[in-house]
Amino acid sequence: MINLRQTIELFGENETEFVIVGGIAITLHGSSYLTADLDLCYKRSKDNLERIAAALSPHRPRLRGAPEGLPFVWDAETLRRGMNFTLTTDLGDIDLLGEVAGVGGYEEARAASVAFTLYGHEAHVLSLDALIRSKRAAGRPKDLLVLPELEALREVLESKKD
Amino acid sequence: MSRSVEEQLLNPEPGTAAAAARDFGIDLGLLLGRLRLTPEERLDELQRAMSDLEEGRAAVASASRSIPHDQPPPDNRAVR
Repeated sequence: MINLRQTIELFGENETEFVIVGGIAITLHGSSYLTADLDLCYKRSKDNLERIAAALSPHRPRLRGAPEGLPFVWDAETLRRGMNFTLTTDLGDIDLLGEVAGVGGYEEARAASVAFTLYGHEAHVLSLDALIRSKRAAGRPKDLLVLPELEALREVLESKKD
Repeated sequence: MSRSVEEQLLNPEPGTAAAAARDFGIDLGLLLGRLRLTPEERLDELQRAMSDLEEGRAAVASASRSIPHDQPPPDNRAVR
């Protein structure tokens, strides 16, 4: 189970650049969707990879589902060589995504995000429009199941702006 | 005149996304409750739900371990 407060504070304090996507983003927009991990689309600049590596390092990141004892070096170079990482850490499960289906990389996700203040830090969260696009593009049954609720949310929240 | 969020969710008009979500099985009352919270409160509520779920899973696992494996499962016909 992810410790949301501690993880968001950690990433905020280390000035990492990311966009919250997936189930936690859906929850932040008001859905009652239940998820147990945190999906982040991260900026793949050298500085940011180093900040992410340093931030998570004390929390023993390892590849989720990998056999115990499988060698895994956690550093900026490992992040640079890969793209998407499904991690287990002492804070809980964290998915680091270089790309989001239907949206693109960090720059596109950031452009399609809204800012929320969470535990004293500004956090960028994928917008409802972009979440709907990403769920449609991913197309798995579990993605499609959340679409009716997301579309209802978008409808009522847009009507509030009128 | 536009309808309030409460009206749209508690009494959705036919053809709207809210009506489609209700027909799909989404609890729009629950959704309305979530919308009344701040984003941070929504995360705190999710965290509590995750904790409750984990406690429930641990309790089920503990109960399963306490049933001796060499005993046959209880005969449900006895309680009919």
